[in-house]
Amino acid sequence: MMSFLPFSPNLLQQALLYAILAAIGAFILAPVLVRFLLKFKITRSAEYDFTLKGGERLFKVGTPIMGGLLVIIVVTTITLLFNWERSYTYVPIGVMGISAFLGAADDLLNIFGKKRRNRTLPMTLTLIRVHKKWYVRLWYILTLPWVIFQRSTAVLGSHPGKGVLVHEKLLLQFLAGAITAWWIYFKLGNQWHTLWIPFDGFVSLSWWIIPLVIFLVMFTANAVNIADGLDGLAGGSLLITFAGLTAISWIEGRAAFTLLNATVMGALIAYTYFNVKPARFQMGDVGTLGLGALLAINVMAINKTILLPILGFIFYIEALSVILQVFCRRFLGRRLFKMSPLHHHFEFKGWSEEKIVMRFWLVHFFFILIAIWLAMN
Amino acid sequence: MLSPKAEQLIEEYLNLPFSEVPGVRCPYYINTRAKQRAQLRVLIGKGLPQEIIEEAKIISIQYHHGIFDCEGKCLLNKIPNYDSVNPPAKCIKKFLVDNNLGIDCSGFVSHVLREHFKETRKIDIVNKFFFVPIKNSVRYFISWLRPIENMSVKHYASDKNTKKIESINDITPGDLMIMLETGPQKNRNHIILITDNDNQVIKYAHARAWSMEGQYDHGVARGEIRIIKPGEPLLNQEWVEFGTINENNETYQEAKNAKVFEIRRIKF
Repeated sequence: MMSFLPFSPNLLQQALLYAILAAIGAFILAPVLVRFLLKFKITRSAEYDFTLKGGERLFKVGTPIMGGLLVIIVVTTITLLFNWERSYTYVPIGVMGISAFLGAADDLLNIFGKKRRNRTLPMTLTLIRVHKKWYVRLWYILTLPWVIFQRSTAVLGSHPGKGVLVHEKLLLQFLAGAITAWWIYFKLGNQWHTLWIPFDGFVSLSWWIIPLVIFLVMFTANAVNIADGLDGLAGGSLLITFAGLTAISWIEGRAAFTLLNATVMGALIAYTYFNVKPARFQMGDVGTLGLGALLAINVMAINKTILLPILGFIFYIEALSVILQVFCRRFLGRRLFKMSPLHHHFEFKGWSEEKIVMRFWLVHFFFILIAIWLAMN
Repeated sequence: MLSPKAEQLIEEYLNLPFSEVPGVRCPYYINTRAKQRAQLRVLIGKGLPQEIIEEAKIISIQYHHGIFDCEGKCLLNKIPNYDSVNPPAKCIKKFLVDNNLGIDCSGFVSHVLREHFKETRKIDIVNKFFFVPIKNSVRYFISWLRPIENMSVKHYASDKNTKKIESINDITPGDLMIMLETGPQKNRNHIILITDNDNQVIKYAHARAWSMEGQYDHGVARGEIRIIKPGEPLLNQEWVEFGTINENNETYQEAKNAKVFEIRRIKF
């Protein structure tokens, strides 16, 4: 691996070159991708999208989704060609690929898939009692825990029925998290068994780092996914985050990650250019899940795990708003927000889409500054 | 009279405070058929007027009903000559009924009594109310989290929460008329809140759905009982509601058919 000292001008120069290269590549690829998505009708439909408000947002119907492919393709290609370090970049790219694959499957099934039938728990229990064939009854008994798991996760889904179901999503995301945890715990070395604390040094977590990593990869990927609700919101916020992350990696002198983060940043410049209102395409789960997982890995890989909630501030706030809303709805019977995630709450309060997005960007930028400052302590 | 805030709350149920659209009476909705669980209280017939309005606006925007815009302003008023065909208030009422937005009898009584006791006695009745013994820990916890949703007619009929009033001369505002096992199939309960008593007329308010009002015209209503035979039970007096008297008055019929009909007063 190339080694650089902290604040190395050479590393910064290289990182900027990667960012420029990625941006140019993405700008060239974007129109091709838009045409491809339109040709195959991979576009947004109102059928399962409850957030498309009458009149004001109906123009979004027909906008291509899966625009996140742009970033995934460009980042993967540039990393494979110019920044492929088996010790450092293959797992982040691999996990991003798994998550992006999951997101792509969800996007495509939501458009082209049929409504999937699910056996409910009472139905399964009835079948166990009444089915005339004993081996079918035995099968239902053996698969009962799976059905319970399936049904218990259904409450987390926003529009269950089509696409990848929640329990399938959770399992695949768990796999992505587990791979990351294995890599961090067994491959990166003892230094990564500890948690860096600003101003205070390190706290040893030993094997507890494994569940923490799995949780953070799953949570961050879903948090970015939740924030992808307004034109430019997820793209712009990710751009700010990866810019901050590039700066932190550069400060730390971690060459492979500085270049990887810079590549993502460059690709996101082009993506956001086409994604601001009125969007030429939207990120889709392929981009949000992939980049969300990559964000979590890259922060943990430079051993700044504690900064993840600050570096992903807007995403975490959006995810938290959904958790709180569900909690209040189910347990207290009242709404905390007019609608969750948080950006929809402001929409219902009458804020324009542009106003919400720009204010969220600015708030997010402020927290990135805090993260960079903390990273230097 | 009930406290001013309690009276104001009843008025808000009788005339939901939609901006620009007066005259929308809160419909009746009870969750026994839909049996929604762990749902917003406004969607199970236990919401405050403001919550019903908020939810109506959210549903309208979310599902493109075109009744309210994102700032909550009614779009129906903007349609030319709309009033002559279907007045906005009527359309909104239909919209509320179609979307299960309304209030049931115990929810209405609980909210109004809560305001009344907060103002007159400085107590929150939900904190004093007895739901289930603490040994039934799950139910106890649920009742603690969602008290209004768990204050049913049966709870009001319990001696742990209320005491029976024997004479109609003792009736005061805030007392309750409780009907158990009433209706044609003797399978429902009803509760009515007494709002005033001057020993000649007893006034009450309740949330109910009379069969004669059809699918959309039901809701919170006021009525009165004229004391024409002093000293005799309430059922021997003249019940007046919406211009109907006694046998034509379905509230009276409900009271008459109930297996148990009692006047009760909150104990604390």
